[in-house]
Amino acid sequence: MPQNEHIELFQKRYGFRMDYQERQRKKKAREHKLQSKMAQKLTGIKGKIFAKKRYSEKVQLKRTIKAHEEKKTRQKDEGKTPEGALPAYLLDRESTSQAKLLSSMVKQKRKEKAGKWDVPLPKVRAQSEAEVFRVLKTGKSGRKGWKRLVTKVCFVGEGFTRKPPKYERFVRPMALRFKKAHVTHPELKATFCLPIVGVKKNPSSPMYTSLGVITKGTIIEVNVSELGLVTQGGKVVWGKYAQVTNNPENDGCINAILLV
Amino acid sequence: MTSQYNFKKIVIVPTSKDFIDIVLSKTQRKTPTVVHKQYKISRIRQFYMRKVKFAQQTFHDKLSQILTDFPKLDDIHPFYADLMNVLYDKDHYKLALGQINIALHLIDNVSKDYVRLLKYGDSLYRCKQLKKAALGRMATIMKRQAQSLQYLEQVRQHLSRLPSIDPNTRTLLICGFPNVGKSSFINKITRADVEVQPYAFTTKSLFVGHTDHRYLRWQVVDTPGILDHSLEDRNTIEMQAIAALAHLRAAILYVMDISEQCGQSIEQQVALFESIKPLFANKPLLVVLNKTDIIRLEELRPEQKSLIQRFIDDDIPVMEMSTISEEGVMNVKNEACERLLAHRIEVKIKSKKVEGVLNRLHVAMPKPRDGSDRPAFVPQKVIEKRLQKGPKEKKKTERDLEVELEDDYSLDLKKNYDLPADFKYDVIPEFWEGKNIADYIDPDIMAKLEELEREEELRIESGVYDKDEEEPDEEEKEIHRLADKIREKKAIIAIESRIGRSGGKPIIPRAGRKRERSVSRLRTEFEELGVDMSDKKGAHFARTTSRSASRPAIKKARADSTGRVRSSSRVTPRDESGVRPGEMKAKAKKMGRKAQGKMNQFGKAGEADRHIAVKMPQHLYSGKRGIGKTDRR
Repeated sequence: MPQNEHIELFQKRYGFRMDYQERQRKKKAREHKLQSKMAQKLTGIKGKIFAKKRYSEKVQLKRTIKAHEEKKTRQKDEGKTPEGALPAYLLDRESTSQAKLLSSMVKQKRKEKAGKWDVPLPKVRAQSEAEVFRVLKTGKSGRKGWKRLVTKVCFVGEGFTRKPPKYERFVRPMALRFKKAHVTHPELKATFCLPIVGVKKNPSSPMYTSLGVITKGTIIEVNVSELGLVTQGGKVVWGKYAQVTNNPENDGCINAILLV
Repeated sequence: MTSQYNFKKIVIVPTSKDFIDIVLSKTQRKTPTVVHKQYKISRIRQFYMRKVKFAQQTFHDKLSQILTDFPKLDDIHPFYADLMNVLYDKDHYKLALGQINIALHLIDNVSKDYVRLLKYGDSLYRCKQLKKAALGRMATIMKRQAQSLQYLEQVRQHLSRLPSIDPNTRTLLICGFPNVGKSSFINKITRADVEVQPYAFTTKSLFVGHTDHRYLRWQVVDTPGILDHSLEDRNTIEMQAIAALAHLRAAILYVMDISEQCGQSIEQQVALFESIKPLFANKPLLVVLNKTDIIRLEELRPEQKSLIQRFIDDDIPVMEMSTISEEGVMNVKNEACERLLAHRIEVKIKSKKVEGVLNRLHVAMPKPRDGSDRPAFVPQKVIEKRLQKGPKEKKKTERDLEVELEDDYSLDLKKNYDLPADFKYDVIPEFWEGKNIADYIDPDIMAKLEELEREEELRIESGVYDKDEEEPDEEEKEIHRLADKIREKKAIIAIESRIGRSGGKPIIPRAGRKRERSVSRLRTEFEELGVDMSDKKGAHFARTTSRSASRPAIKKARADSTGRVRSSSRVTPRDESGVRPGEMKAKAKKMGRKAQGKMNQFGKAGEADRHIAVKMPQHLYSGKRGIGKTDRR
């Protein structure tokens, strides 16, 4: 025992009080009263934090109780017919499957017409120009309003230089330019921070695509050489598409799902 | 010099969850909490930026406090650095602190990025989301540090409980096999209550005790036992002992058990000694043979004796002791202390610092006047008397009585009273027949009182208590009178000023008041007091110059370096103070008029008046123009 553990040393030499164990037991038994007092007294943010903690504790308690209550019973085994098994009088019929085939072909054709692709977020809210651009007043006494400031996150390529300030119509501030995105692989469930190569399509308007504005649902191309993917032919895959899943201007980062 | 190797002042390292809770709740309490979406966007932005910055600052402060409080292994004494390496693993320690440092920088970067983003937030919702994201990011960074924080908290707790060993002071270090009696020895010479048990490795860490020798404080360090194997095989406990041996400049006491009760034979103990001998370089060494109450050195077998003899041949002092019977313990301690002291003095003399001290020391020996010897002289008779008396009888003290009688002893203070035996133990009452007994203690008390009173009367008559009051002479009377007058005048002034302060009457500003301090006023006041002011020649004041600068002065008034007349005691008006007359004055006046003109034109009270009386005056905002277009209004 180290030299300065006086309490432990005393306990080792002289032992405990005669009623020590009893007192410990009683103190523990009174703990629920303190808990309930706290739960009633605490208000505001502290109350919310306490309630959250208490809820998770209760969930754990209930789980353990339920686990104790589970009994080993034998359940009736419903003899399920395996799929595809047909009763004897239907054995020679095949019509249903064909119909199915046809209808899926029809669906495919419809999709192609509509231009809806198989992406994680098929429909997104369209962003109006008023949302994406803000009018920048210039000129004497601020009377000219032809310049626009982009209020959403955008991507400008490497080697991007602004047009001369007198002529640039769309101002993309440096604070809102992002180069990297957090891309999740849907099957691996792993997220990587990959550099963006370009903006492929912004669902709201082609003008946004050309400007490089990234909003929710935008398809971007990311550099996946970090993942080390290889094609069948042995070539290294270095670019893949991903779709943005969050509102980057609200979160300060671009989260995307890789389109495999 | 006591270096403060006291690691108790390290700040408590909270768990990662607690850390986040502390910072977030502090942010919530210490920053404004109310914002509405109809506020100006700049105000909303500022509100949220403040929260992000505050959280970052709090994280930064707490983490940098942790980083500065934990000792850097390179900055502390090598003994402590080695000890900490043994106990906590230097690499792990440095890594943990490095992780905290990284977290600190990451949090700073997060805050910078999000504050930059917040500048472009155009709605309350967006700003709020950005602030939430920023705080969330910082919290995630801290969550990842959970392991480091936990480790650092454990290190802190252990570190604060290390015994405070001063590596630079006089130290005795006790080492040897387990169970040889090191802890018993330290228990005997110091007040350290180290556990002593029959099993090996009872002492698992370093223990420190203090003892005195020659009016100096000595540190005694007890180490866990060391077994005889190579350095790589040693466990943490033994490594602590090795660290102490390696870095502390101390006198080493190598304790051996010659009765072999510890489980190791003398040969094994000597072998251990040989293997750790390199650690004893440059340190005074002492081999101590313990447990001599069981078997003495002389009773050993010759082979064992020869091993011990080798020590003596190597000039290493060997001493015997027995901690149970306390025989030889003090000798060992004294010998070790003496050797260490001699060693330290030797080292100090060899160092450079000693010259600085020796230069200032001078031991003066009185020169003998002549060659005759003057020994101490005791008269013959005294010597004879001393021999006659014999040894002094020791008076029996109460303590001796108590020891003798043990349980039957009771303290009786009355037994030495100078009274006849039957009165000694009587209880004395306080009152008797309505009189105080205390008044009659002394049979002559009334006579003594009367004598005292007579003496007192004589004294009063002779004037011992009279004050020396001389008649105040003329000068003193004059002074008294003046003093009274001054006091009266002061009181009047005080009352007048008090009256003057009350009342809401408007007072003329300073510049408008008449000249307060003038020669005429001086004259009248002093004449009131009775001073003769008719003598003008010897006076040091003169009539001041008149105010207007056009009339030439009758007498050249004294002016200072800037040319201003100093004897005029009027306060300069504001538009002339600091402005030289002439061109500067004209320019100042012009500027003043120019500035005032605009304000007058718009009917403004002053520069700060922003009130616009008519926002859209009709003549400007309506009607056609005589000439020109009405494109721009």
